[in-house]
Amino acid sequence: MTDDNLVIYEEEIEKIDSILARMLKGAEAKCALLVDKDGHLITRQGFTHSLDTTALAALLAGSFASTKEIARLVGESEFSVLFHQGKKDHIHMSIVGDRSILAVIFDDRTTIGMVRLYAKEGATELAKIFATLKSRNTTEHAGLTDEFAASAGDKLDDIFQD
Amino acid sequence: MVSINYATREVTCKIVYYGPGLSGKTTNLIYVHKKVPATSKGKMISLATEADRTLYFDFLPINIGSINGFAAKFQLYTVPGQVYYNATRKLVLRGADGLVFVADSQAEKMDENIESLTNLQENLEEYGYNIDEMPIVIQYNKRDLPGALSVDELNAKLNPRGWKWFEGEAVNGRGVFDTLKMIIKLVLEKAKNTRTTTSAARSAPASKPAPAQAPVAAQQSAAIGTTAPSGRPTAVETTAAAPGGAMPQREAAYQAEASPQAAEPPLEHNVLPAESVSGPTEPPDAPIQTPAEESMSRPFPGSTGKIPRRERRITVSDFQPASKDEDISALRSRLNDENEKLQQDEGSGMPSPSMAPSERVVKKKRGFFKRLFGVK
Repeated sequence: MTDDNLVIYEEEIEKIDSILARMLKGAEAKCALLVDKDGHLITRQGFTHSLDTTALAALLAGSFASTKEIARLVGESEFSVLFHQGKKDHIHMSIVGDRSILAVIFDDRTTIGMVRLYAKEGATELAKIFATLKSRNTTEHAGLTDEFAASAGDKLDDIFQD
Repeated sequence: MVSINYATREVTCKIVYYGPGLSGKTTNLIYVHKKVPATSKGKMISLATEADRTLYFDFLPINIGSINGFAAKFQLYTVPGQVYYNATRKLVLRGADGLVFVADSQAEKMDENIESLTNLQENLEEYGYNIDEMPIVIQYNKRDLPGALSVDELNAKLNPRGWKWFEGEAVNGRGVFDTLKMIIKLVLEKAKNTRTTTSAARSAPASKPAPAQAPVAAQQSAAIGTTAPSGRPTAVETTAAAPGGAMPQREAAYQAEASPQAAEPPLEHNVLPAESVSGPTEPPDAPIQTPAEESMSRPFPGSTGKIPRRERRITVSDFQPASKDEDISALRSRLNDENEKLQQDEGSGMPSPSMAPSERVVKKKRGFFKRLFGVK
């Protein structure tokens, strides 16, 4: 598993973004985040400027991971949908394919039913994209060049100063 | 695993601080958070108990800046060290690109160090990771305490694999950055040599026509990837085809879902025990409603046809024609009779909580039907 880096190209993100945007419009939700199960934010759509999406991604992934363990303990393989209800804002999370999480944040202008419906649709479409992403052969190096690692090394000394 | 996002131009790596309870993992992160310039760090998140013990994880995103056009981001996590939090500890390990093992140098903590290291190996194996292939740095922490063992002793017991190690005093920052710099270097080194997921089609002829945006993107990937550019056009071809062709159909589907009433019958069938009420599924030869009838079946002008259960009455759509020749006016008068009877039944007692609309509602509805059908 660690032998594969997750590489996402621009055109894939564009496709994903268009699916998310369509979903948001249909469900009238505020924003959507697509998060890797490892906690990396893949992409986001909607009103996310006021959100710390990096932290949100890590916490959402953590939340999903712990729920999966809970599911295992009660004899389920995993809970595919997770819903947090707040006073004003709510979060609906669902699994996309086998390694991503789609989180939709919405308020009372829409309903959980609408969000569920559109999230399900969106997740199905996204799963197809991730399936093609996964089915790529691991025949090439598209990783980091020597230069990248070396430049990074130089930068570290600048930032990490006691 | 290292995540390389060509759209946001980001390379993200996950580094996990592992080790026994109270060995100083969170303290490492706090120090990094304190010292790194504000422009290079995100908010530190700590999921801790009230007693300030890590319950799930601490999280600190670090951005070391743009390298070859890509922002290099590192996400630092700590695990809960206490033995009984293994379930959550294991979860944090998922997708880790590198590990820092923070060991407690005190002699009496040696058993805990060993136990934690064994646990690390077990948890990695459960994810299918090989501890020998994972970039790992050891930090011998708490060197300032009087009971600290010598580095040789620690190395002999904890570092048979010869990982890079550093002495540390996380509280005052000694060794914290050295450890972090080393693990970042090791992670990047590993990522460089890692086979990444790219399409086989990408290695296919690069002569295929590229979409407008491809050249720029290809340049970007040339900076960071070695062979990706050649394949990009092919990948674009396969992926770009979908939105154009599939969109209209999908949009139509969305529209249909957005207005579910359009697809449903205009009114749900009445639950009242009238013999003429049809079942939930209309037989194929059900009367074809004229547009006028359809609008009549809606209880209030401008309503969507969805009415609260308590207010449902028998309506035109509930009627089967007695015969094929039965015309619309006969149907209407039958409907009126039914509703008349219904009102009398309700008026004469037999209260049923589930179908006891207030008098006001009944009267109002009667008036509505009277007006609509012109029946006195």
